[in-house]
Amino acid sequence: MKRSRLSLLLALIALTSAAQAAEQVPLKLELPKPLFAGTPRPIQLPNLEKPRSGKRPDLMVPAGTVNLSKGKTVTSSDPLPVIGELTFLTDGDKSGTDGTYVELGPTPQWVQIDLGASAKVAAIAVWHFHSQARVYHDVVVQVSNDKDFKTGVTTVYNNDDDNSSKLGKGKDLAYIENFEGRLFEAKGAVGRYVRLYSNGNTSDELNHYCEVEIHGSVAK
Amino acid sequence: MLPMFAPFSRWLPLALVVLAALWLRTHDLARRPMHADEANQAIKFGDLLEHGRYAFDPRDHHGPTLYYAALPIAWARGQTTIASLDETTVRLVPALAGTLGVLLLFALASPLGHWPALAAAALMAVAPASVYYSRYFVQETLLVTFFLAALICGQRWWRTGRPIWIIAAGACAGLMQATKASAPLFAASALIALAVVVRARPASARLTRDLVLALSAALVVAALFYSSFSTHLTGLHDAIATYTHAGGRAAAGASGHEKPFWYYLSLFGWHREGGLLWQQLAFALLAAAGFVVAFAKHQKILRWAALYTLLVVVALSLTPYKTPWHAVHLVPGFAILAAGALAALPFRPLALAVASGVLFLQINQTHLAAFLRPADARNPYAYVHSSPDVRKIRALADSALARAPGATIRVISEEYWPLPWYLRAVPAAAVGYWSSPPADCDGALVIASATHAVAVRARLHGDYHESYLGLRPGFLCVVFTPVTTRP
Repeated sequence: MKRSRLSLLLALIALTSAAQAAEQVPLKLELPKPLFAGTPRPIQLPNLEKPRSGKRPDLMVPAGTVNLSKGKTVTSSDPLPVIGELTFLTDGDKSGTDGTYVELGPTPQWVQIDLGASAKVAAIAVWHFHSQARVYHDVVVQVSNDKDFKTGVTTVYNNDDDNSSKLGKGKDLAYIENFEGRLFEAKGAVGRYVRLYSNGNTSDELNHYCEVEIHGSVAK
Repeated sequence: MLPMFAPFSRWLPLALVVLAALWLRTHDLARRPMHADEANQAIKFGDLLEHGRYAFDPRDHHGPTLYYAALPIAWARGQTTIASLDETTVRLVPALAGTLGVLLLFALASPLGHWPALAAAALMAVAPASVYYSRYFVQETLLVTFFLAALICGQRWWRTGRPIWIIAAGACAGLMQATKASAPLFAASALIALAVVVRARPASARLTRDLVLALSAALVVAALFYSSFSTHLTGLHDAIATYTHAGGRAAAGASGHEKPFWYYLSLFGWHREGGLLWQQLAFALLAAAGFVVAFAKHQKILRWAALYTLLVVVALSLTPYKTPWHAVHLVPGFAILAAGALAALPFRPLALAVASGVLFLQINQTHLAAFLRPADARNPYAYVHSSPDVRKIRALADSALARAPGATIRVISEEYWPLPWYLRAVPAAAVGYWSSPPADCDGALVIASATHAVAVRARLHGDYHESYLGLRPGFLCVVFTPVTTRP
């Protein structure tokens, strides 16, 4: 009798845990002020998300998801940026004004955030540069436990349609930067490191980042 | 110092300054993508190169010298068709003219003494605006060089009275007029400054004859160019009509290039944009000191430079239409004034130290403007500049036509320069430009502006892959590439 009660109790605990794990909540992002000065040129690009009226649809993430990247160490293929610091990526300031973004040199460049421990990544939000309508080329976002990204790599997003970055041809859609940033759904990809690539943009050959937020939970 | 080494110590520094000017103006000329204005003029030059055709357009283009000057360079580089033409060839015209301008400034400033004249030349050699627009296929640098040449010839005539110098000065003035319709502004400013500063009479005893000679030389040279060397006589009328068109544009109101009064002076000031620092404060302060010296000392060349520069600054600043390339007209005057300030310093080592410091700061700015960020929207000289993305067009077109030979490349956009330059090797029948979407939008490659992208997409048949290309900062195009080649 005692044994059956214990089994029932364990089953209840397991069910509750499973229910909690499955519970999905909207990801809350703190957005900066829009920076487009004056009247922006009307842009209706069909290959991008359709112009929306109203707020961006919520991205549902597991309850307990938090921003894991705040203040975490950032490395890059361009370790000495001419403008800004790599720490700007994770300093929480996504305003996009002068002095809040880092500018990496021309040619394909990457930035990498070390979360300190393996994590289950639910979503990655990126603000490249949002004071002008521009599209960053060959954006690829990957998660891995290998800091060199040679093994166990999960690609969360890839719009490099001609494989110019040699990371595989991507089918994701390009997008125009704005103050909302770009939210990539990571679907629980597991890894300690998140790497983001880009290859210039439609305005210049440079690569910029105001902020990167990696939302998830520490992997158990 | 041994007498045999004196010529070396005297002329070697000048040779080094000229070599530095040449390197700064010619190194890696293809690095920056073509600006819309450069591309437009290069295509116009291509017509002259390939078909021998040139007709002055009084509405939208400046004078002919730029195009004719590019001919010998293209021939020397073995380029005889527009398809074979490249950025380096066309940009070598202002680059070589800009280098010559440095040498001419040395000659013009020589009344200050050898070392101050050398300093003036060095300051112009490394000035950001001078270097940047000596690497830019527009008329401005040519105009400055012809102006300096006219001054040198006039200076020589004044001293010697020899008619050959006044004829040469007239010919240079004719070249100025054949370069840009704004030439009279600089000529008039120079003459007014001369009239105020110089009281003595020139050496020539036959002033009227000499002035007639100068005017005749100017008219003949300008007429030759504007008439396309007598093959297009309407060009003579158009050379005058261009002022009517310019006046009409001014009367019509806003052109989009209106800027505040202090715009040109601000280019020589200090400002930070997007994390990049743009400053020429040391050079500007030295020139301002030279302005004071000009009126404290009785040096005619300094006073002339001060007055001429002041007149040009006021005239350009009062004109609502302002573009950064006009700043090159301020550099020679500033350089002479700065050299005058250096010459006024009591100790040669101090002057050398100040000159070295200013040159270092100027080189640093030139490196940033002309080499590190030449097409960056934050660069004050990269005015409404094309994005580096435009360089991708050639490869896209080549692969599109390889997939679908005989098909058409369509550019559907309210603005499309510099794309014709990058599509110059594509046969004319294989590429078309529309300012609004035509009924049939299908093609081997379709480039549509963001404004027209939705309408174009609705008129396309079959599957197209879509990607994005920046024409210039803030102006995006959608590139439609057929997924499968249709007959």
